[in-house]
Amino acid sequence: MRLLARRLLLTLPSLLGVLVVAFLLLDVAPGDPVTAMVGERADSATIARLRAELHLDDPLPTQFGHYVWDVVRGDLGRSYITQRPIAQDLGERFPKTAELALAAMALAAVTGITLGVLSAVRPGGIVDRIAMLLSYLGVSFPVYWVGLLLILVFAVALKWLPPSGSGGLAYLVLPALTLGMRSIAFLARMTRAAMLDVLSSDFIRTARAKGLAERVVVLRHGFRNALVPVITVLGLDTGNYLTGSILTETIFGWPGLGRYVLTAIDKRDLPAIQGSILFMSVVFLVVNLITDLLYAKADPRVAYD
Amino acid sequence: MRALPVTTLACLVVTTACGGGGDGQSPARGSQLTYYETYDPRSLDPALSTDVPTGEMVTLAYDGLTQFDPDGGLLPALADRWTVARGGLRYVFHLRAGVRFHDGTRLTPEAVRQSFLRVLTPGTRGGRAWPLYPIAGAAAYASGRSSEVTGIGLLGDSAVALDLAEPLAIFPKFLAMPVAAVVPAPPPADLGQHPVGSGPWRFVAWQHDDYLRFARNQDYWAGAPAADTLTVRIIPEPLTRAAEFEAGRLSVMEVPFGETARWRREHPELLLEKPALRVVYVALNNRRGPLRNVRVRQAINYAVNVPEILATVYGGRGILARGAIPPGLPGSDTARTGYHYEPAEAKRLLQAAGYGSGIELQLWRNTSNVELARVAQAVQAQLEPVGIRVELVERDASSQREAARKGETDMVVLDWWADYPDADNFLYPLFYSGSFGPGGNYAFYADAAADSLILRARRTTDDAARTALYREIDERVYRAAPWLYLWFPTDLWAKRPDVVGWDVPVIFNGQRWTGARRAP
Repeated sequence: MRLLARRLLLTLPSLLGVLVVAFLLLDVAPGDPVTAMVGERADSATIARLRAELHLDDPLPTQFGHYVWDVVRGDLGRSYITQRPIAQDLGERFPKTAELALAAMALAAVTGITLGVLSAVRPGGIVDRIAMLLSYLGVSFPVYWVGLLLILVFAVALKWLPPSGSGGLAYLVLPALTLGMRSIAFLARMTRAAMLDVLSSDFIRTARAKGLAERVVVLRHGFRNALVPVITVLGLDTGNYLTGSILTETIFGWPGLGRYVLTAIDKRDLPAIQGSILFMSVVFLVVNLITDLLYAKADPRVAYD
Repeated sequence: MRALPVTTLACLVVTTACGGGGDGQSPARGSQLTYYETYDPRSLDPALSTDVPTGEMVTLAYDGLTQFDPDGGLLPALADRWTVARGGLRYVFHLRAGVRFHDGTRLTPEAVRQSFLRVLTPGTRGGRAWPLYPIAGAAAYASGRSSEVTGIGLLGDSAVALDLAEPLAIFPKFLAMPVAAVVPAPPPADLGQHPVGSGPWRFVAWQHDDYLRFARNQDYWAGAPAADTLTVRIIPEPLTRAAEFEAGRLSVMEVPFGETARWRREHPELLLEKPALRVVYVALNNRRGPLRNVRVRQAINYAVNVPEILATVYGGRGILARGAIPPGLPGSDTARTGYHYEPAEAKRLLQAAGYGSGIELQLWRNTSNVELARVAQAVQAQLEPVGIRVELVERDASSQREAARKGETDMVVLDWWADYPDADNFLYPLFYSGSFGPGGNYAFYADAAADSLILRARRTTDDAARTALYREIDERVYRAAPWLYLWFPTDLWAKRPDVVGWDVPVIFNGQRWTGARRAP
C-alpha cells in the first residue's frame, strides 16, 4: 500500500512534465485553431476576435497557469471546435478504445504465448518453424495493409463480418486481430526466447530427473520463470493500445481515442490535444504501475523497497 | 493444447459471424438509407456549421428561408416567396404558414430574427457569420460595436424584412447556407447535440465518430421523406468506405480516386457522374518575387501539361479550367482560348521577363489531400524543363492554410468548393482584393478594374447583365494568370441499384434525402 501511494505520488511530476512539453510543442508548431474554426472563408476581424476570446494571444506562462489551475480543479475545458467538454469526449471514447485494446491483448496473449511455448518445446520442429514464420510476417506486415486485407477477405468476399463500425462482438473481431497482430508476433518470439533460456537451466533438468511430467516441467517450472519478459511486453503493448491506435481506428472507423486525438491535432484544438495527452499519460502510468506490481507477483525475488 | 490458438480464433469468428447483427448498422433494408461522412460533424448547431459534414447534417434537420436543389437551383423553403424593393436594398421574406419545429413550436418571424442574432452574437464562436453580414448593422453587431441589428424587421407574424447595407442580387442564395438555418424561438439550450429544426429529418441519436441517426419528419411541410430512417456513418478511410458499399451497407458513396478505373470497369451501371461546383488550381502569389511578373505566371500556365496531369493523376475526373467559374454556373466559359501546353512559349515568356536563366520557387502541398499532393509533384516535374526549379513544401492542412493566408507561399495547390451556386462565389472570395488571405484570395491578386467589376456584378439585379459581367471578370483575371489554372472536378458516385430518388448534388447542401428510398 505504501508502495502504491509512493508510486502514485511520483507520477505527479511526470504528468506536469508531460503538460509542459505538450504546451511548448503546441506553441512552436505552426497552425492555428481559429483557422479550423472559421473554415475556408473568413475575415480578419472575426479571426482576431476569436483569438482574443480564446486567450490565444496571452503570454504562454499565463495560458499554462490557467490550464493547470483548471485541471487541478478537475476541469479539462471545452473543445474549441465542437464546444463539448473534453472530459465528456474522452469519457465516450475511452471505453471504445479499452474494448478494442483488451480484445486485442487477450487475443495476443493467448495466441502469442501459446505459439511461443509450443515453439520452445521443440525448437526447430514443424510447429516452431510455422510459428516463427507467422510471427516474422506479423511483425513485418504494415497494420494498414493487414487491416484492409482482412476487410476485403472477411467482409467483402466472404461477408462473414462487417467491414467497419462499432457495435456487437462481430464488429470487434477484425480490428482486434489487426491491432493485436504485432503483439501476437512479438509475444510469440519473446516467449520462445525466454522459454528456451529457462528450459536449458539446471533446475529444469532436475525437475525432469525427478520424473515430473513434461507438461508440469514446461508449464509450472518453465513458463512461470519465463514470465517476466512476457509481462513486460504485455504491459507495454497494453499501455500503447489503451491510449488509442490511430491506424486501426481509422481503417475500421472505430470511435476511439486515437481518432479523437488525430482530429484534435489536425484542427489544432489545443484543449482537446492537451486533455488527451494528459489522459493518455495517466493511463500509461497506471498500466506501468500495474505491470510493476505484476513483476513482483510473477517473481518473488522482485521486491520494491 | 496444440490446436488452441486456431480454435480460439475460429470460435471467435464463427460465433460472431453467426451472432452477426451488430447494432442495426447492417444493410439498409426496407426504407432505411445509409449515408456517410468522412469525419465527425463539428456540431449540429447551425451557428457552428463551418465545415461540410456539419453543413450537410444541419441541412437534414433544419430549414433555411431558401434552399438549393441537387443541381444548385434556388428554391423557396421556410419562405414560400420573397420580394425585392428599394432598389435591391430590401428583401421581404413571406413565411410559409403552418410550419412547426420538431418540438412543436410554431415558426414565427421572431424565430428567424433570433436565429440570425445568435449566429452573429460575439461569443458564439462559429466564425462563419459572413452570409448574414450583408444585412444592415449585422457586421457591427458581430464585432460588438452595436447592440442591435438594424436591418432585421418583423412584418406582422408572417414576414421578415431584411434591409441590406448595399444591394446584393445573390442574397437569397446566402440564406440557403446552413449557418442561416432557422431554429425555434427561444433557441433550445443544446442545439449542438440535440438539434431542433423544422427540416425533413428529426434527430434521433449521435454516437460521436461512429454514426448519426435520423428519422423522417412526418409533419414536414413539403411532405414527409420517402424513407423511414437515415443513418449517417462516420467512415474516414476511402477504401473502407468502398468495402462498406460493396457489402451493401451504404446507399451511395463517392468513388475513391484510387478506385476510379476499377469502378468504371466493373460497375459502370452503378455510377453517377456530375460536374461539381469546385475548381482545382495552384495559387501563384502575385506579390512574391518573380511571380509578381505577369509573364512568369503566364509562362507557368504554358509550361504545365494540364490535360496529362488530369488524366494520369486525377483519373480523368475533371474538365479543363479556362477560367475560375465551373461549368454549370452562368458566366462559365470552358471553351475560352488560352494557355495550353507549349514549353517553348513558356521559355520565351520567361526570357522576356528577364528570367532566362531560370527561377526557383516553392510549391506547397498538404498531407491530407493525397490527390492534390500528387498533382503538386507532377507540376514540379513539368516546370523543371522550362527552367523553373520547384521545391515542394509539405505541411499538414492547418499549417499550409495558415502560411497561405499570411502570403508566405510562392505557390500552393488548392481546391475551392462552392458555398453557394453562383459565379460570385468563384470571383469575390478568390480575386477581390478585399478578400486577401483568409477571405479566399490566396493569390493576393489585386486589380482595381476587376475589383470594381466584381462589386458592380454583386449590385446588378438583372441576371443576364450580371452573367455578362461574370464572364468579363473571369476573362480579365484569366489573362493576368493569378493561378496556374487546372480543372473543374467531376464528381463520381456509386449508388446501390435499389436506391431511387437520389441524385449527386453539385453543392454540399443540395441533397436533403427527401425523395430517396429503396425500391422494393
